[in-house]
Amino acid sequence: MTTATEAITEYRSWAVEEFRAEEEPYYVPVADEIEVFEAAWNSKIPVLLKGPTGCGKTRFVEYMAYHLNRPLAVVRDGRTEIEDETNLPLVTVACHEDLTASDLVGRYLLEGNETVWIDGPLTRAVKAGAICYLDEVVEARKDTTVLIHPLTDHRRILPVEKKSQLLQARDGFLLVISFNPGYQSALKDLKQSTRQRFIAVEFDYPPRETEAEIVQHESGCDPDVALNLAKMAEKIRNLREHGLAEGASTRLLIYAGRMIAEGVSPRRACQVSIVWPLTDDGEVQRSIEEVVSSIFED
Amino acid sequence: MTAQLIEEAREGLRQFPPALAQEFEAAVEAAQPILEPDELGQWLRDGLDIARHSLRSWEASSEYFRASGPVLEQITYDQMREWCAVGIDLMETSPALSGALFRASPAVLPHLSVTQANDWAAQGKSLYKGTWKSGSLSAQYFDVSPQILPHLPLSQMRLLVDLIDSLASHSYELASACLGMAPGVLAQLDRADRAPFLEFGGIVAHTAWVDARVYFERGPGALRQVSDEQRPRYLSLAGQVAMQVGRLGHPYFIEAAQAFSEVDKDIHEGLLELAEQLAQHSGDAAMEFIKSSPRVAQRLGIDDIARWQEFGLQILQQSRDGGEAFFRLESARGEEVMEALSSRVDLDRVSELIRMYCKALTGVDVGVKASEELTAKGVGWVDESSPTTEGTTIYLPENVERYPTKEENFSVYKVFATHQAGRLEFGSFEYQSELDPNLFPAAQNGSSNGHGNGVVPTVVEEEEQIHTDMELFFDRFDDRRLAHDLFTIVEDTRIDTIVKREYAGVRRAFSRLQQAAIDRRRPVEDMPARQAMVENLLRASLDEIGRIRWPNELAEEMRTPLRILNRIRSEGATVQDSAAATALLYEWLSQIPNVELDTEDWSDFEQEMSGDPDGGEDSDMMPGSGSSGLEESFMPFMPGSEEQPYDSPDPVDFRGDFKPELVQLLMKLKGETGTGDAPPIPLTKEQLQELLEKSVEISINELMDMDLAESSGMFLDNLLKEVNQIQGERQEGQQAMGDDSTGADDGEELPVEAASFYYDEWDFRAADYKPRWCRVQEQRGESGTSNYYTETLHEHTQLVQETRKQFEMLRPEMFRKMKRLTDGEDYDLDAVIEWYTEKIAGATSETKLFYRRNKVDRDVAVAFLLDVSASTDEEIQKHHDQRQDDQFDDDPRKYLSWWAQRRAEAARHPGKRIIDLEKEATVLLIEALETIGDKYGVYGFSGYGRDNVEFFVYKDMDEPFGDRIKERIDKIAPVRSTRMGPAIRHCIWKLQNTDAKVKILMLLSDGRPQDHGYGRDRTEKEYAIHDTKMALTEARREGMVPFALTVDRAGHDYLKQMCQDMAYEVVADIESLPRRLPALYRRLTG
Repeated sequence: MTTATEAITEYRSWAVEEFRAEEEPYYVPVADEIEVFEAAWNSKIPVLLKGPTGCGKTRFVEYMAYHLNRPLAVVRDGRTEIEDETNLPLVTVACHEDLTASDLVGRYLLEGNETVWIDGPLTRAVKAGAICYLDEVVEARKDTTVLIHPLTDHRRILPVEKKSQLLQARDGFLLVISFNPGYQSALKDLKQSTRQRFIAVEFDYPPRETEAEIVQHESGCDPDVALNLAKMAEKIRNLREHGLAEGASTRLLIYAGRMIAEGVSPRRACQVSIVWPLTDDGEVQRSIEEVVSSIFED
Repeated sequence: MTAQLIEEAREGLRQFPPALAQEFEAAVEAAQPILEPDELGQWLRDGLDIARHSLRSWEASSEYFRASGPVLEQITYDQMREWCAVGIDLMETSPALSGALFRASPAVLPHLSVTQANDWAAQGKSLYKGTWKSGSLSAQYFDVSPQILPHLPLSQMRLLVDLIDSLASHSYELASACLGMAPGVLAQLDRADRAPFLEFGGIVAHTAWVDARVYFERGPGALRQVSDEQRPRYLSLAGQVAMQVGRLGHPYFIEAAQAFSEVDKDIHEGLLELAEQLAQHSGDAAMEFIKSSPRVAQRLGIDDIARWQEFGLQILQQSRDGGEAFFRLESARGEEVMEALSSRVDLDRVSELIRMYCKALTGVDVGVKASEELTAKGVGWVDESSPTTEGTTIYLPENVERYPTKEENFSVYKVFATHQAGRLEFGSFEYQSELDPNLFPAAQNGSSNGHGNGVVPTVVEEEEQIHTDMELFFDRFDDRRLAHDLFTIVEDTRIDTIVKREYAGVRRAFSRLQQAAIDRRRPVEDMPARQAMVENLLRASLDEIGRIRWPNELAEEMRTPLRILNRIRSEGATVQDSAAATALLYEWLSQIPNVELDTEDWSDFEQEMSGDPDGGEDSDMMPGSGSSGLEESFMPFMPGSEEQPYDSPDPVDFRGDFKPELVQLLMKLKGETGTGDAPPIPLTKEQLQELLEKSVEISINELMDMDLAESSGMFLDNLLKEVNQIQGERQEGQQAMGDDSTGADDGEELPVEAASFYYDEWDFRAADYKPRWCRVQEQRGESGTSNYYTETLHEHTQLVQETRKQFEMLRPEMFRKMKRLTDGEDYDLDAVIEWYTEKIAGATSETKLFYRRNKVDRDVAVAFLLDVSASTDEEIQKHHDQRQDDQFDDDPRKYLSWWAQRRAEAARHPGKRIIDLEKEATVLLIEALETIGDKYGVYGFSGYGRDNVEFFVYKDMDEPFGDRIKERIDKIAPVRSTRMGPAIRHCIWKLQNTDAKVKILMLLSDGRPQDHGYGRDRTEKEYAIHDTKMALTEARREGMVPFALTVDRAGHDYLKQMCQDMAYEVVADIESLPRRLPALYRRLTG
C-alpha cells in the first residue's frame, strides 16, 4: 500500500500473486488476533474473519501477510531464485453474486487458433503459496464456496476440473475468508459445511481509545477530534438493529477525520462521511445528526 | 254639572255588558278629581264613542276606562287625548288591538313619549293582517311592549317586529312564542348587542325560520362566549354568513360562538377580522375558521394564525372546497402550514428521533414518552410537565414552546433528553453501598460518624433484600429531605458537568437553559440560613457562582460546601462520589441553623477558588475543627429568631424530577438490579408501606386527592401493577419464544385484539388529503373449522389440479443457461466449434461464444384484499332473477309457478352468495400460490364510518400456511360497508414491509366503494371513487401493481374511472370467479 503523502501516485501493476505490501500496513491489534492467525497459518488451518464492515478485517489480512515470513526459495517462471525472507503475497478476491467457479480457478481463452489456459486468482495463490483472501464470501454463488472445500481440509488440494488437474497448495498458502454477519439474511449465510472448515476470528470495532488512535494515525486529524469521532461512533453503534443496519465503521471515521483535517467543519464532515453514507432514512439521519451535534460544537 | 255628565254616560253604557259599567265606575272615581269638568265631558264622550264604535268595541272601551286613571297620573289630559287618538284610530283596524293598546298604555308610558305613540301603534298594526291569528299576535305585541321597551328603544323595536313578522309568515305559533320570549332574551343581552342580535335574528328568520326559537333560547348564552366588544361584530359576521349559507347559518353561529369560549379573549378581535376577510369569499370558510381556531390557537399566536389564514385564503380563492377543507383542518396542507408556522415542538413528532438519540447516547433500549403517561400510572411521579426517568423510559413534557423558533424549542428537548439520558449513561441510579468513591475519602462513605446522623438500620437477614442501596443511604440521615435535596444537587451537578464535557455540542443550549433557570429563582435573601445555603449550592451547580448571594461576614461558612460541590466536577467522579459529597454537605448543613439572618450585608459571592476543584486539603471539607464553631459564627446574625421549617429549593426545570430511591426500588422490584439477574423480589404491601412513609420522593398528598390510608394503598397497588405488568410482558415474551422454538401449532390463538392504524383520505374537492382521517382496525379473522377448505378443494378437484399444473409451469428453473454471449462463465463448446469451422472456412462470424447460467428468482408478493361488505351476502341467483323477472311481466300465473318452483329449489340447495364464491376463489388461489411459492397475504375489509374500518387478516404476509389459515377462511363472512381507500392503504403498508421484487395488490370487490361519510352525502359516489383511485395510485407510486377485480356487472363505469390506466377486470359471470382468479394472477405475474 502506498502512502497518501506522495504527491502523485504513478500507475503500477503487478501479477496478482506477486503483489506484496512494501511498507508495513498500519494495524493496531485489539486482542490476540495476531497470535491466533499466526498459529493458524503455521498449522495450515484456514481462517474465517467475522465482523462488521470497515472494522479492519482487510487491513488485518494485509498486516498478517506482511508479517508472516517465508524463509524459502521461490520458484518463479520456471527458475528457482533464492530470495531473502520475504513477506507473503496476498491475493484478494472481492466476491460478488456473479462470481463463478471459473472466475476463481481459471478458464481457457482463445488466442489465435488455440485455446490458452489462464489461471484464476485462487489457482495462482495456490501455486504461489500466497494468502488468498476471499472478501465477503457469502456474496459469491453457492457453487463457488463448495469449490474451496478440498483446499480447506487436510488435502489442501484445488481440483482444476477443466484441465483434469489437481493442484497441491504450496506451503504458505492460506485461505482466508471474511463475512459480515450483520446483514445476514436467510439467503446469505454460510453453509455449515463451509463454516466448519475454518477457525473463526471475530472482529468488532476497537474500543474508544484504540479507535481514536487509529483514526488519528490514518487521518492525521487532531487527537481531540479523533477521540470525539471515536466517542461518536460508539454512540452511533448503539443504534445498530434500531434503524441502522450497521454502525459507523472505523473506515468512515477515518474519512471524517481526513475531511476535518482538510478543513471541513466537524459537523459537516460527519454529515457527509458518516450520517449520509450510513442510512437513507430521514428520521435515523436526524437522530445521528443530533448525536453529532451534541459532540461537536460546530 | 259633572254629575250630570256622569249620569248621562252611565245611561249610555246601559246597552253594554255590565263589566263595562264596572270599569266605568272605577275610572270615574279615579279621573274625577283630576279632570276639569269640560275635560271630563270630553273623556266620557270618547269612552262612549269607543264603546259604540262597533260590535265588540265595548271591550276596548272598558280597557280605555281602566287605563285612564293610571295614565292620567303620568301625563296631562291633553297629552292623553293625543295618545288615545292613536288608539281610537286603531279602532278602524281592530277594536281588539285598540283595547290591547289601552291596556298596555299605563306601563308603556314611562318608556315612551306621547309623540311616539303613533310609531309604537303603527308597528303593532303592521303585524295585523286581518286574520284572527295575526290579530292576536298584534295584540300580544302591545301586551309585551311594557316588558320590551325598557330594553329596547322604540327605534329598534322595528327590528323585532320585522323579525316576528317574518316568522309569522311561516308560523304564528312560532312567532308568538318568540315574541313572548323576547323580553327575557333582550334582558340577557348587553344594550349594544340587542340591535345586532335582532338583526341577525331577522336573517335567521328569513333563511332558516325553524331555527328562530333555538336562536332565542340559546343565542344569548352563545353570544356571551364572545368577548364583550366583539359581539355586535360577530353577529354581523354571522348575518353575512347566514345570507350565503342559508340554513347552516344558525348552527354555525352557535358552534363558532362555542369555539370563541375556548380561545383567549384577547384574540377574538383578530380572529373576527380574519374571519371577515374569509366571509367575503366563503361564509363556510369563515365559520369553519372560527370553529377551528381553538385548535389552531393552541399551536400558533395570532400573528401566525393570520399567516395561516392567508395561506388558506389563497387556496380558497383557487378552490372553494380546498379552502374550506383547509379551515376545517381536514387537509394535510393545512396541517403542514400550521406545523411550519408553529414554533412549538410536539413530543409525538420528535419522540422517535429523541428515542434513537437517547438510545445512541446510553446504549440501552430507552423509551421516550410524555411525562403525563408516567404521572397517570400513579407510581410516585406527579409533575406532568417536567422531564424525568424511571430507569427505563425517559419522560418529557408533551410540547415545548419556549422560544420563537422550532430549532430553539427542539434544543430544549435535546437538553432535557440529554440530561435524563445522562442519568442513565453515567449511572445516577447505580449507587451501591459497598462501592468506594473515587475522589472522596472512602471513610466518609462508610457508616455514619457521629452528629446524630441517624442509625444504620439493623437489618434482619431475610429482609435485607428488600432495601435498596439508595434507601439505606438516605436512612443514614435524620433529615431525609435535606439529604435528598443535597444528593439531587450534587448528582445533577455531576451529570451536567459530564454531559457538558462529553457533549460539547450541547453546551450552548445547556447554558442557555441554566441561565433561564437561574433567572427564575426566588431571591436568596428572604430565605432562612440553611435553606439559603442549599439555594446557593443549587445556583453554584448551575455554573452561576456569580449569582450566589450570601452575607459577607459568613463568607467562610459558604466556602466549604462550595468546595465540596466543586470537587464533584472533577473527571472520574461517580455516583459514589456524589453520595460521599452529599454526606459531607449534610454534615455541614445540618449544623447551620435554619433561621432568618439579620443582616443587610448580602452580596454577590466572589469565588476565588473556582479554578481548582482539587485544591484544598480533604480536611478542608471536613466540618472538622470548626464544627462546633459553626453555630457560633451565625450567632451574631440570629437575634433570637426561631428555627424555620426547611423547604426544598424550587426544582430546576431542565433537570426535572430526580427520584433515585424510587427508581432503585422499581428496578429491584422488576428484577433489574445492576448486580445481575437476581429474581424479582416479591414485596409485601407492608414493606412497601414502610418505604413509602419515609421516602421524601413520594408526596402522597399531591399524588391523589384522598385520605392518606386510601391513597397510599392505591399507590402500592399501582406500583405492584406496574411491576407485574413488566414481568408479565417478559414472561409472555418467553412464552412466545418457546412456542417458536418448538414450532407448536396447537396453542389457542391469543385473543383478537385490534391494532389501530391511521391513514389520510383523499378529498378530491379540496385536492388534498384529510390528515389521519381513517382509523383502520386490524384484527385477525375468526377461526372456524378447516373442513370448509378441504371440502372446497374436494368440490373443485378438477379445477384444482388444472390450476396447480398451470402454476407449476410458472415456477422458474433455478438457473437458466444463457448461450451465445460475448462474455460469460465459460466457452460454449458448440459455439466454439461452429465458430472455428466457420473461421477455417473463411467466413467471419460473430464471436458470441460464451454461456452463462443466470439465476432466476421469482420474487413475487401479493396482497389479496377481499371485499367482505354486507352486499356480498347477496345470493347470486338474485342477480339472474332481476333479469328474469322481466320475462313474466304479462303472465302472473307463469311467474307464480316459476317462483314456487324456485323457492322449493332454493330450500333444497341454498343459493351461493357472492362471498361464497369469493371464498372459493381464495381457496383455489391459495392452493395455486402454495405451489408456486410466492409470498402472499389474504385480507378482508369492511367497517362503518371512518373511525372503524375493519381490516381482517386471514393470512398475513409472513404467516406460514396451515390449518389456522384454513380455519379463518371458513369464517370469512359479510360484515358492513365498503370503505376501500384506507383498506388499500393498509395493504400498501403491508406490502411495503414485505421484501419482494414484484408486489401485487389485488382487490376483489362486488360493487362500488361506499360507506357512511364516504362522500358529501349518502348518494354521492364521486368522493369514494376518487379516494379509492388515489389509494390505488399510491400503490403504484410505491412500485406495486394494483389490480382491481369486480363481480359487479355494472362495474365498468366506476372501475374505468377508478383505475384509469391500471388494469382491472369485471368478471361478468360470477360463478366463473374461482376459475378466473388464479388465471388472472398467472397472467399478471407470468
